[in-house]
Amino acid sequence: MRKEIYEHLVRVGATRRDVLKGAASMAAVAAASSAGMGALTRKASAQEDLRAQILQIPGVGKGSPTDADWQKVGELCLGGTKETVAEGEFAGVELTFMGLNNQNLHNFLFRGFLKPWEAYTGAKISWIDLAQADYNARLQQSIATGTVDFDILEMGAPFEGDTAGKGLLDEMPDWVAKLIDADDLVGYLKPPVGTWDGKTYRINIDGDCHTFAYRKDYFTDPAITAATGVTEPLKTWQQVNEWSKKIKGQKDPLTGLDAFGFLDPLKGWGGFGFYFLEDRATAYAKHPNDPAWLFDPDTMKPRVNNPAFVQAIQDVMDLIAAGAYPPDQINADPGTTAFQQFLAGTGGALTWWGDVGSNARTSDTSVVGDVAGFSILPGSDRVYNSKTGEWETPEGGNFAPNMAYIGWGIYVTSRVSGDEKKRKAAWSAAAHLGGKDLSLWTVAYPSGFQPYRQSHFNYDEWERAGYDRAYIENYLGSNLDSYNHPNAAIEPRIPGIFQYYSVAEDELSKGFAGQYKSAQETADAIAAAWEKITDQIGRENQIKLYKASLGL
Amino acid sequence: MSQGDLLHVVTADDISQGRKLFGRAIVWASALIVVLVAAAQAAQQMGKVDFGFTTWRPTLYAYILWAVCLCWSQVLIRGEHGKRTLFVLPTALFVISLTVFPLLFGLVIAFSSWNLSSPLGRQFNGLDNVRQMWSDPFYWNALRNMVWYCLAILFEYAIAFGLALLLNAEIRARKFFRVAFLLPLMLSPVAVSWMIGKSMLELRFGPVARFARWLGWENPSFFGSPEIARLTIMLLDAWTFIPFMMIMILAGLQAIPRDLTEAAKVDGAGPWRSFWEVTFPLMLPVSVTAVLIRIIFKMKLADIVINLTAGGPGGATDTVTSFIFREYRDRSNVGYGTLLAMVYLVIIIIVMTILMKVADRFTRPRT
Repeated sequence: MRKEIYEHLVRVGATRRDVLKGAASMAAVAAASSAGMGALTRKASAQEDLRAQILQIPGVGKGSPTDADWQKVGELCLGGTKETVAEGEFAGVELTFMGLNNQNLHNFLFRGFLKPWEAYTGAKISWIDLAQADYNARLQQSIATGTVDFDILEMGAPFEGDTAGKGLLDEMPDWVAKLIDADDLVGYLKPPVGTWDGKTYRINIDGDCHTFAYRKDYFTDPAITAATGVTEPLKTWQQVNEWSKKIKGQKDPLTGLDAFGFLDPLKGWGGFGFYFLEDRATAYAKHPNDPAWLFDPDTMKPRVNNPAFVQAIQDVMDLIAAGAYPPDQINADPGTTAFQQFLAGTGGALTWWGDVGSNARTSDTSVVGDVAGFSILPGSDRVYNSKTGEWETPEGGNFAPNMAYIGWGIYVTSRVSGDEKKRKAAWSAAAHLGGKDLSLWTVAYPSGFQPYRQSHFNYDEWERAGYDRAYIENYLGSNLDSYNHPNAAIEPRIPGIFQYYSVAEDELSKGFAGQYKSAQETADAIAAAWEKITDQIGRENQIKLYKASLGL
Repeated sequence: MSQGDLLHVVTADDISQGRKLFGRAIVWASALIVVLVAAAQAAQQMGKVDFGFTTWRPTLYAYILWAVCLCWSQVLIRGEHGKRTLFVLPTALFVISLTVFPLLFGLVIAFSSWNLSSPLGRQFNGLDNVRQMWSDPFYWNALRNMVWYCLAILFEYAIAFGLALLLNAEIRARKFFRVAFLLPLMLSPVAVSWMIGKSMLELRFGPVARFARWLGWENPSFFGSPEIARLTIMLLDAWTFIPFMMIMILAGLQAIPRDLTEAAKVDGAGPWRSFWEVTFPLMLPVSVTAVLIRIIFKMKLADIVINLTAGGPGGATDTVTSFIFREYRDRSNVGYGTLLAMVYLVIIIIVMTILMKVADRFTRPRT
């Protein structure tokens, strides 16, 4: 769970009494479970006990967890390790772990979790801590210069093309898949994500997707609804655009300042800004019968200049032409739209990762608090079929949530492949971090990670631990529908994917500033730049890897 | 040997021919080792033979051996004079190694296709990068922007000169103002871009935006159009660096002998004439230095742009450095990024050389 959500819960959701109530109910559950249950259910109830027990460390409302708490959780969750590794089995093994050291905790947390693991197994871990901004450069340089100096790696799925695609990762042994209960993952994280050519490399520790956040009061305010005629949350991008144009001239019910509709970030964000154009485009471009939507998997020909993407760019240009954005929107990156605009009361809707929803209620600078609502990304009345080159109008529209960034995972590098003992040690450590029970703790307390397992959406468990049920359902539910959507748009895990995004941002910036004649010309410029990148990285190889990542 | 040379020589060297020969022999022998080792490693790199080298360290060690032999040979061949050379030679070799070698490697990279995501690694691609640069609208756009940014220095200079004259005059709290005016220079440009660009210029609550509204600008926008965005960046950069020029000019003003201006006054020159005929010409060398250094700073302008506009809208505020930053860091395009940087280096050297020549002629005392 992100830190700010936790802090919010501590402030408003869970009073000390709630916590005690939660603890008491857990004690009752524990007592009941120990009172003569059958042998078959004993293991299951022991696990429930454990899950309830770790959710009480340090206890909701008892301050932020510390290193001692992380170690305690790590110690309690050692069951899987003890099943598969003998005490002291890895004595003398030294492993290097590369991950993030940013404020969302990451490596700090892993250190605490792995300390009991080190004590039990006898292995020793040394750490390479990187700031988020340095991560990509460090990883790419290590790969390019052949100086991979880490055995275990915390990495985002988009980089799998750069690592798994180059044979730098070690395949996950079967015993690990069983240990971490991989079947429990939410839909979109199941293969082909995490796999290459049918081989699995990834232990998930996080989930990511974009959702649609909107102001509920914009659908009840008399003046705004009179102008827009819209009283129900928006379902399609066509509706979003019409609504945004009609809002112009109205006043925001909360701030009294000018009201605006949907907020598109029009400035680049180191490549991450392109996700937001994708949010619009997936509804048009992601056909349910085709897993590919950004490139043609047979030729790597970009689809970014097909009618679907051009429509998405045109939608943005239409809103610019209509003056439907706040002034200076041309210089607003996604961070600005979320934190300086939407949360501060400017704009009626935007797309963002799960945490804008939680921030709406937890951030001190947020004024939208209880008027924020969430849904999966809007869909479209029509969808473009790249295979036939025709628009189709499916009944009920086409919806395709954008699984932007996919989420963090733990990987083991092929440095350990030749040494069976070291390999087992590395996978054992990785499995410990991706364990089912431990993951419940990471999504429930500040860790920087979002829910990513079916079992994380068991609201009773959260409620018993002392969390406010309504809030938890609201927070978790907004992600669950996207995660399990049958037509989720999963980004290509090919080498250099952020290079494509970065150059697209530059061209979009020119297009939005009116330097290209049309959306089509803008899209063509992006496609030309993408072709260049593909040629430079190696087309044949990209095709092979793209197909592998799609599981084709 | 001249008398001057003998002056500092304590011992009379009587160096035998054999010693000199040995001295030359070790230099050439060690040089040969460098060439052989480097050639062997290069051959292995090209996949022709396999000597089992895993790193380039053997070549480095051979180079160090050669450097040691070169220093030793100075003493062997030239005796006391050689020892004097030894005070400088190791440092010179070290400095050359740290500048020449990276430059050479940089050139090799500049003429390569090297995308960090490519499994092929670095590939020599001749002049392809130059061709790409030639037809790259983003690079030329950035260069064009640099001309605008550099032209702004003329206004910065005028303001800096004015401020320096004020601070050189007999005004109250002069010392306080000198320090106060210097403060912006002490701020990191990154801090400037956040504190001013993102906070004070924030459209809804930023004090500058509120002030603009109070003045009657209904919907203030500081980055909304290409021209205004470029102007805003120029102003932020000017605010940071005008104090730098001001302090240099102020130092120059204080060095002007008072009797010169007094003599001008005695001769009947008014304040304007005294400034234009006496102060300004005397200040030319300092002014030229200040402007040239400022141009060098300006050529490196990137941090404010990266933080505030990322080069937008539509490349209107892009600088060469911020573009290279995106090309290199966001797109891992090491070969092309290095070529752009190299070309930019050459452009800077040529422009600065021309400017210095012109300035030299311009500041020569009028007779």
